[in-house]
Amino acid sequence: MSLVDFLQIWIIAFFTLALFSFLYKDNPFYKFAEHIFAGLSAGYYVGLVWNSVIIQQMIDPMFDNGKWWLVFPGLLGVLMFSRFTKNYHWISRISLAFVMGNTAGIFLLSELHGKVLPQIQSTMLSLNMNQSPGALILSLIVIIGVISTLIFFYFSKEHKGALGGAARVGIWFIMISFGAHFGYTVMARISLLIGQVQFLIEDWLGSIIQFFV
Amino acid sequence: MIWLILAYVLLALAGIFLLYLTFRTGDRRFIYLAVAFYVIFPVLLTLNLPTEISPEVRQLYEAVEALPDSAVVMLTFDYYASTLAETEPMSRAALHHLFRKHCKIVTMTTIPLGGPSISERVTRDLAEEYGKTYGIDYVNLGYKANYVAVLKGMGSSIEAIYPTDNSGTPLAEIPMMSHIKNYQDVDFIYVVADNGIVDYWMSIVNAQYQIGVGSGVTAVMAPKFYAYLSSGQMTGMLGGMKGAADYEQLVHHHGTATKGMAAQSLVHLFIILSVVAGNIIFFMERKKRGGGLQR
Amino acid sequence: MKTTVPVIIAFLSGLVMIISFFFSSDTGFIGRLEPEILSWVTIVGGFTLLLGVVSIVRVNYSTVKRRKEGWGYKLATLISVFVIAIPAIIPPSWSSIFGVRPGSIYDWLFNYLDAPMMSTMFAMLAFYIASAAFRAFRARTTEATLLLATAVLVMLWRVPIGELALKNIHPGIPELINTYVMNGANMAVQRGIIIGAALGAAAMSLRIMLGIERTYMGK
Repeated sequence: MSLVDFLQIWIIAFFTLALFSFLYKDNPFYKFAEHIFAGLSAGYYVGLVWNSVIIQQMIDPMFDNGKWWLVFPGLLGVLMFSRFTKNYHWISRISLAFVMGNTAGIFLLSELHGKVLPQIQSTMLSLNMNQSPGALILSLIVIIGVISTLIFFYFSKEHKGALGGAARVGIWFIMISFGAHFGYTVMARISLLIGQVQFLIEDWLGSIIQFFV
Repeated sequence: MIWLILAYVLLALAGIFLLYLTFRTGDRRFIYLAVAFYVIFPVLLTLNLPTEISPEVRQLYEAVEALPDSAVVMLTFDYYASTLAETEPMSRAALHHLFRKHCKIVTMTTIPLGGPSISERVTRDLAEEYGKTYGIDYVNLGYKANYVAVLKGMGSSIEAIYPTDNSGTPLAEIPMMSHIKNYQDVDFIYVVADNGIVDYWMSIVNAQYQIGVGSGVTAVMAPKFYAYLSSGQMTGMLGGMKGAADYEQLVHHHGTATKGMAAQSLVHLFIILSVVAGNIIFFMERKKRGGGLQR
Repeated sequence: MKTTVPVIIAFLSGLVMIISFFFSSDTGFIGRLEPEILSWVTIVGGFTLLLGVVSIVRVNYSTVKRRKEGWGYKLATLISVFVIAIPAIIPPSWSSIFGVRPGSIYDWLFNYLDAPMMSTMFAMLAFYIASAAFRAFRARTTEATLLLATAVLVMLWRVPIGELALKNIHPGIPELINTYVMNGANMAVQRGIIIGAALGAAAMSLRIMLGIERTYMGK
């Protein structure tokens, strides 16, 4: 292992342990690492936008391919910064409206075409008594679950009577789903910790053995 | 083996003792210590536990396996560095699978903070291992802002959204991209994500362009996407570290996900113990005060 | 005028996207217009990312200038912003350490400082969830009991040791959980939520296009 690799691993380990030290108590090392992290994350966007947007999407196409009309979206982008002024912040609405309008137009159709229709179609399951009991039970669970969940989230009418009963069934289904979600969330959080511990033990402690032995 | 069993028993007792200390002192740092033990111990002993392959993981594997060799696959790196432990093993296993099948891989990302750096690093690592050539076997398109516009725009023209690849080379100068103009020229989309972008790959891309989309998602997102699996919109799914470990088994490449399952097991058992112990204490205290289960 | 012009722009932009949905990319003018407009949206979206950076620099500079409490840490934040940003915008033709490619200062700072710290921040959540499991997750009601019971079952099912234990009780239990819990009850609820949220998103999109919803414009 080279000295550079060794130092790199120790730098990562220092900042990792500095952040983990918060678990014991708030301290200057944690605060220092946290603020460096915030600064680096913000600064990353500058390099990203300069490279991916300004150079690759504007300057190169304008000068290499003669696409001079790209100065207009650039202008719209710059107008966004008028938000930081007192008297001219309303100008940024033009850029925002352009982006929001496009997004709204895409969503209006894609949400209906890509989510509502396929999902409703897949809920129309066969309740044919000739199928296996397991498949029939699953179909019933899905149909009742979908309908009762939608009823539970319908707040325009008070949940009383039949509607209230259906909403109650919906709550039970929702609790099962949220329980599954919680179980998976625990798995997710633990996985992230395992990743960092793997680095600290295999890479960091391993670097001591590799470098000195 | 006997020492391992003994070690697990001691760990379990240590966990119970630390929970007792938490209860007595109210200091949650004892629980933190227990979690640290249960993660460090299996990692130190590098235990590899075999897992039963989930049906949705097998579905994704078989969908990729069924692709013709030299198929064009779009592999997305739609995740932040915060979830690397779950998602990077999925990307690596996917690249092992795709490179072995000699697929042409187009990588891209919709994540501004780190997406281009992560996709560059991981893809180049695996490409070097398989002796793949940039521009002929794989291309990294990088990042462009506003994922809705990106996903929609690539349906018409990839070049309109990405005039160059991540390093600034015009797409027209990249041999592989000469016949990949839009989604019609892509055979499969392999999304690895840690956020709701998968919803838009379904609703915008799969629904309109009828292209197969499989995904690897973090465990936090996984329960939601069973709805897309069931409707046939999604072709297979890797859910969290378990899904990544299953896929690593299928592609015969045991990586960090497989190694992590032992630690995952112990901590899960500890958390179940914590929930049960916490509720036992709760019900005992409530019984002392007087009261039953609320309706 | 300050509101009317943006509303008209929003409507026209959305209309172009709706009309182009029904035409393929090789259909004349509208087929060529759609990808061009979308590329404009990605350019404008890129500039939006910088708004946060400007904001952070302004806030932290103000704290440092006035020597408020913790100004030393804010100075570290400001220095970090410029240390990663400035080498990134210098042309890589000057030296390979500039620019954003692998081997540059920008790339190194992200891979060796930013990414590990991001991972560590989220890794700490594992400790908090374990603490919450002991101190807060109580089966106070029937619904809460149902939630916790499902959570325990899923947590066992998703790990090798737990899966083995469940199989020892009955070999079919893992498959039952996958079929009736994950692909049954959970899937049904998620489907209901997806349908409801999609209908809401479609309605909101229509409101934005028609100018009824203007909150995105700010004050």
